[in-house]
Amino acid sequence: MKREHQDAVDGGGSWHPEAAAMEDEKGKGTMGAEEDGGDDELLAALGYKVRSSEMADVAQKLEQLEKAMGSSTAANDDALVSHLASDTVHYNPSDIATWVDNILWELNASPTPLAPRPPSPPPPPPPAVPLQNHHHQRHFDLPLAGPEQSTITTVDLPTAPRRLADNYDPKPLPAPHAAAGRIVYGSDAQSVVAPSPRDRKRMKVCSSPPSSSSTTDAAKSDKALPVVVVDTQEAGIRLVHALMACAEAVQQESLKAADALVKQITVLNTSQGGAMRKVAGYFAEALTRRIYRPQPHRGVGCSSRDSAALDNILHQHFYESSPYLKFAHFTANQAILEAFAGCRRVHVVDFGMRQGLQWPALLQALALRPGGPPAFRLTGIGPPQPDHSGALQEVGWKLAQLAGTIRIDFRYRGLVAASLADLEPHMLLDPNTGDCSDGGEDEEPEAVAVNSVFELHGLLARPGALEKVLGTVRAVQPRIVTVVEQEANHNGGTFVERFTEALHYYSTMFDSLEGGALAADAACGGGRRDQALSEVYLGRQICNVVSCEGVERTERHEALAQWRARMGRAGFDPVAIGSNAFKQASMLLALFAGGDGYRVEEKEGCLTLGWHTRPLIATSAWRVAASAGGDPIAAAAAAAL
Amino acid sequence: MAGSNEVNANECRMVVPLNTWVLISNFKLAYNMLRRPDGTFDRHLAEFLDRKVPANAAPVNGVVSFDILIDRTNNLLARIYRPAPPNPSPATTPLADLHRPPSPDPFPVIIFFHGGSFAHSSPNTAIYDSLCRRFVSLCGAVVISVDYRRSPEYRYPCAYDDGWAALKWASTEPWLHGGKDAKLRVFLCGDSSGGNIAHHVAVRAAESGIEVSGNILLNPMFGGNHRTESEKRLDGKYFVTIQDRDWYWKAYLPEGADRDHPACNPFGPNGVNLEELPFTKSLVIVAGLDLVQDWQLAYADGLKTAGKDVKLVYREQATIGFYLLPNTDHFYEVMEEIKNFVTSNL
Repeated sequence: MKREHQDAVDGGGSWHPEAAAMEDEKGKGTMGAEEDGGDDELLAALGYKVRSSEMADVAQKLEQLEKAMGSSTAANDDALVSHLASDTVHYNPSDIATWVDNILWELNASPTPLAPRPPSPPPPPPPAVPLQNHHHQRHFDLPLAGPEQSTITTVDLPTAPRRLADNYDPKPLPAPHAAAGRIVYGSDAQSVVAPSPRDRKRMKVCSSPPSSSSTTDAAKSDKALPVVVVDTQEAGIRLVHALMACAEAVQQESLKAADALVKQITVLNTSQGGAMRKVAGYFAEALTRRIYRPQPHRGVGCSSRDSAALDNILHQHFYESSPYLKFAHFTANQAILEAFAGCRRVHVVDFGMRQGLQWPALLQALALRPGGPPAFRLTGIGPPQPDHSGALQEVGWKLAQLAGTIRIDFRYRGLVAASLADLEPHMLLDPNTGDCSDGGEDEEPEAVAVNSVFELHGLLARPGALEKVLGTVRAVQPRIVTVVEQEANHNGGTFVERFTEALHYYSTMFDSLEGGALAADAACGGGRRDQALSEVYLGRQICNVVSCEGVERTERHEALAQWRARMGRAGFDPVAIGSNAFKQASMLLALFAGGDGYRVEEKEGCLTLGWHTRPLIATSAWRVAASAGGDPIAAAAAAAL
Repeated sequence: MAGSNEVNANECRMVVPLNTWVLISNFKLAYNMLRRPDGTFDRHLAEFLDRKVPANAAPVNGVVSFDILIDRTNNLLARIYRPAPPNPSPATTPLADLHRPPSPDPFPVIIFFHGGSFAHSSPNTAIYDSLCRRFVSLCGAVVISVDYRRSPEYRYPCAYDDGWAALKWASTEPWLHGGKDAKLRVFLCGDSSGGNIAHHVAVRAAESGIEVSGNILLNPMFGGNHRTESEKRLDGKYFVTIQDRDWYWKAYLPEGADRDHPACNPFGPNGVNLEELPFTKSLVIVAGLDLVQDWQLAYADGLKTAGKDVKLVYREQATIGFYLLPNTDHFYEVMEEIKNFVTSNL
């Protein structure tokens, strides 16, 4: 690729715009510049999206920013620069143009260096405005005509807290723990800081459309296989090799060979220890199921649907033993909190209510926000539980009690649904006003947030289910949709490809649990039990990914690039999660015992949590796309006002 | 001040391609926000802004990468890059194949220390992931990019200790010993602070009897108390200022030390005499618009004076970071120099 030297004037520094096109650049799958919507290829390979046609414009903005920041030698610029770092919320650094715009906006909004804002909001005055006048009686709706097993129960909170229920047991909720190395989310008011009203206007919409670039991303991501090797012992390597060989045999339907390999794996596993042994055990078991039960079969232990109660218990222990769920809740809550800034009536729809672990922290943050809390309505959705039919309602009661103690006007509705696809928009309406977002008379419309933690991938097992659910979500016109999913592709390619991905994913997952358990055990005991049950929880996922097919295979995890494409097609635009959420998540992670290996990363407006360099779960936020032809940022700004 | 900034911006814009200017300016401004006047560093914002890429055991352009925990007790991670093993199924790479020698013939192992003035970046930072992949393609090498501890949280000598740990680890891995003589043919390579680390790890290697085939220093970070002519002449003109250099040294060197500390100024008043040591041969690449070039040139001179083999490549109109984007002669010609150096010292 050598070029001849230019003359001495530029000393050989000639540049080669065509080199970019000719250079087979890092094989990221990008072809000519046009296919990427005109993004500069070389910068794209380094993680930055800048349209070639806008390069000069971006350069000018950078110059502008530099002038505004001044030369860092001047003392009075130090405060300004420091303000930019600590007080500005940064979004989506890959998009240089928007990143710079955001900072310039921040600088224009505050021309003089600000005194640093206090780290936590001041305690709110008692609400001057009387609480919303809702019905005070409890009532239970009759089951709706509709999907067989769906019922609605509604619980209202009286404005004046009655006596606390005797059996109110805070344990299932993340009540403040003694700081025994446990991560403390709920009680730490500073952990979720309500943004100022000004921040509300900057609910950032990622300017890059999720269209063409994300389909190439999806294609690329199918091929990506991040591997973190923590155990390079010979035995571990041979074990993995045997597992892969067995998967190959299964794929080729050489069941005799596969069976022989499973036996070999079992033998090899005896000399193994730690996370690898457990992971190999689960994969071997899953392979065995697949070998001996080739027909689609509702394998016991392969689906979280088998027993909702057991699943909830396992989920609880997984919550305790590792920061994944806490990170999911925290980051989603942060996005919801920001979306709810300035709203007086809010409604959260939780697609997977379970024990409601996510909501105490959000309630507490709302209680402490400047201007006081909104009226809060929660719709919790859960699967049918024939053995314990009151569970969904019970959770609502407990949250109502909590809300009472912190003076939040709280209403709850539990919806039992066998599948999220059974939901219809009218079920999510406010029972009092009969209307979802368009409050009558003098009512401010309800601001809606839809929250899904690990609930969307299951819909991919039935064609059309996801699209239906996303259609329902759009119909309720949410301000924000928060989605947390496993950051892995366990739903594409061949069986062997899926198996390989899952093997690496769960090996990394299990390895992360090892460190946490040791430390938690040292701190307050119970760490080992949490870990063991978490492994069972994850083991069921492994079993499902490996041994099930068709509608039974519900653990159809997909990576961010694929979700981006799906959400884009369904009419949603990404909302960037900012550096404030990132910082707080990182700081809280540092408190988590055994947390050294956990890393938070920002990826195109989303946050991921991973073990060492391997992201394992991803939180993303979305809003309904602006109508065609409009400028999405202007529309968002208009909508925010 | 505003006036001279404009002149600087124009000059600077003329010597690099526009996308390079955008990339490096973006880093510069972001980094300005991360360094606090009191010497602390906004690590969380730094990690938020850093563009990272995961490892990928599926071949991309014939290169695969995977991350490895070299030392579990202190979380010392490294990213390993290697030529894709011959494999019938291109989509996946069995783990065992990752740990086989890439060739029966001698092959180079390049231990790479990324730049960032001791404070920024990681092996999974996109710019360094990209560079390491290129080294694999260029030289048929196995590249080990070390996630060394960074300042100001970890000062001297932590980065050197981690580099040394990586070298020792490599020396015990059978699959890295290539050729019929099963020998580790290791090169220490780094840019900016990484170049500085490569030097100091090479010294330790020479003191301990581990043979290093060669050092490759790309715009290595050295300094001293004295203000050199190039520092004064180029201060603030091409992305870098004396002030930021001072900040990074202050953040890395022990509290109370000055820039004549041997870590910063290895051939200065407190330097170590290399004459008696079997210190390896070096390729030193200097950019003519880098304000610390006088220190880099002094370093090359210091090696020569100590009787060590050194090849100096001076790129007159190159700025810092020219090796990040494959869009100039500097890039391609320097890559060629590196390739020649490696293959001829294998």
